[in-house]
Amino acid sequence: MSTTAVAAVTAILLVAVASTVIGAVGHRARRTSDFLVASRSVGPLTNGGAISGEYLSAASFLGVAGLVLRDGVDALWYPVGYTAGYLSLLLFIAAPLRRSGAYTVPDFAELRLRSRGLRLLCSVFVLVIGWFYLLPQLQGAGLTVAVVTGLDPWIGSLAAGVIVIATVAFGGMRSVTIVQAFQYWLKLTALALPAIVAVIFFFGSGHTFDRPAPPQFADRTTVDVGTDVELTGRTDTAVTVGPAGAVVDGVPVAPGTAQTWPAGSVHRVATGGELVFEAGADVPVPVGRPALDDRWLTPMAGDGDHQLLATYSLLLATLLGTMGLPHVLGRFYSNPDGRAARRSAVVVLALLGVFYLLVTLLGALSRFYTPQLLVSGQTDAAVLLLPTAVLGSGAAGAVLGGIVAAGAWAAFLATSSGLLVSLAGVLSSDILPGRAVADMRVRALKSATVLAGIVPVALATFVTQLDFAETVALAFAVAASTFCPLLVLGVWWRGLTAKGAIWGMVAGGALSVGAVSASLAGVAPDGVVGVLLARPAIVSVPAAFLTMIVVSLVTRRTRPANTDALLLRLHAPERLGLFRDRVERDDEPVDRPS
Amino acid sequence: MSTLGERHTVYQQAQASPEFAQLRHRLRRFVFPMSAVFLVWYLVYVLLASYAPEFMATKVAGNVNIGLVIGLLQFVSTFVITTVYVRFANREIDPAAERIRHGVEGPA
Repeated sequence: MSTTAVAAVTAILLVAVASTVIGAVGHRARRTSDFLVASRSVGPLTNGGAISGEYLSAASFLGVAGLVLRDGVDALWYPVGYTAGYLSLLLFIAAPLRRSGAYTVPDFAELRLRSRGLRLLCSVFVLVIGWFYLLPQLQGAGLTVAVVTGLDPWIGSLAAGVIVIATVAFGGMRSVTIVQAFQYWLKLTALALPAIVAVIFFFGSGHTFDRPAPPQFADRTTVDVGTDVELTGRTDTAVTVGPAGAVVDGVPVAPGTAQTWPAGSVHRVATGGELVFEAGADVPVPVGRPALDDRWLTPMAGDGDHQLLATYSLLLATLLGTMGLPHVLGRFYSNPDGRAARRSAVVVLALLGVFYLLVTLLGALSRFYTPQLLVSGQTDAAVLLLPTAVLGSGAAGAVLGGIVAAGAWAAFLATSSGLLVSLAGVLSSDILPGRAVADMRVRALKSATVLAGIVPVALATFVTQLDFAETVALAFAVAASTFCPLLVLGVWWRGLTAKGAIWGMVAGGALSVGAVSASLAGVAPDGVVGVLLARPAIVSVPAAFLTMIVVSLVTRRTRPANTDALLLRLHAPERLGLFRDRVERDDEPVDRPS
Repeated sequence: MSTLGERHTVYQQAQASPEFAQLRHRLRRFVFPMSAVFLVWYLVYVLLASYAPEFMATKVAGNVNIGLVIGLLQFVSTFVITTVYVRFANREIDPAAERIRHGVEGPA
């Protein structure tokens, strides 16, 4: 192994060990409420750090920078949407949901609409969304290991899976809260250090992106194509096929063959091909992406079809999907009261903003330092490769590369463990048997954790790999098409019925899950249909809302009788001091004066 | 659990009070316009990007153009709106809720 690989593996191991130790020492889970919401004893700053740490996943750490490298300003939509989604969660449902005392969507659905069937449907969607979300996390872990060590990605995915399952099963969430706050700061450091170094070197180089030219290879570069890719260049491009050979436009080409790709022509290179470019050669870019640096700096500069539609659909998914993510909602309960919850929210928004600015900066700089990723198709690796591209593969580059790898690893651990806690809770309380007795339930949670983790680990080994930020956006789309209408209408509209909710979720869920599955299977026709399969929210979200409203109106006789009292409870500010949520009601005397 | 029954009555008392109605009204009058403002702000950016690319490409300094500046401002605006909301809730909603509580339960 190279110095870089040794440094990175050491750093990754340190993060894994530190997380597990903090988790194990932090607390031994005894009661179910301890396990799930950390007994509400967490301060705003720690909790804000933990929320951000949990929210900022592989998609954010690696994927966003990769998209910035390829798409430029347009990629800003992802982080803007991820951040703004948090705001809509805060404005529309955070406080009412907290007052309801339901700390998962299935709990809320049952409380609000009194339907076991609806509850079960919600549980199923929690699992579906959670697994879609875990998938890119585990693939990201695999990519990190593959990039730094050259091992197969599945080894990294498997290791990440085992560590996360162990942390959650043995520590519960109090420990996870501390671990995740720690992981946020680790991630931030892992981005800030390379960003500072790269910015200094970048300005030292005198390079500018404000020029009508494509990025260039600084040195003679050998590129291993990691995914099938269609490339095009603005100038004639001289390419030599490397020792491993390559399949170009469906034709196997012998090693050492020199080709010239005329300006504007499109060439399809299959996975596993090896191409060599000379120093100073222009970098070809994937078809439809901005080729020239100055175009890359302007919004909507790619040649893709229906960009407006695609952007709106993405925005809708991220704005409305965040509130339906299983691991995000539960977090609000680990604040001692509503005031602290709001303070946490401000902390979170600030922390998210700083993080995304750094990621965007790194993505932009990687267009100068690691443009070969545009050819290899592995733009997700941009952040990981930047340190050695800037500093060289000596000791300094190795150390910085190790820190970044550790940060990426922390990103998977944090998000995955938060998701697993939520999935395990839903699995054990709604789907697995043996939920009645309190002691039994903690044990059930542990086996549920293992079960919830195994499925995505298995999936991660054979599903088509899209860009991480895009795969995660698919999970957002499903959440926006199912839980968002349920939560928003459930909180703000007294007319919602259980049947309406069920049919609305089935409609939105079928459309979005169908589209997501097609995307993950690699089915992508051209034109509007293709855009909608990759970004289904603009169709599936209105469909879900509409179905929910229409069916509710038709079945309005089945409205639950206690709706008015319940809505009052949701909307009365908690400082009325009248309402205790269910968690405390289980553990403490109800009438304790506040 | 006789307390649940009592609690229910207290809910209804609180619901009937004009202070409470006003409180809900105030909250809605804040949340909905604020959401509208922030939605419009995002949508305008997308529209500008597709229909006024020349404007978005206007240079500000070095590598930075107007499109980039507005894009980054989206983070700032999200943060500002959150801060405004939290201030509003702490200043307006909490004291009002406190007053209602005193009205219902007597001073705590």
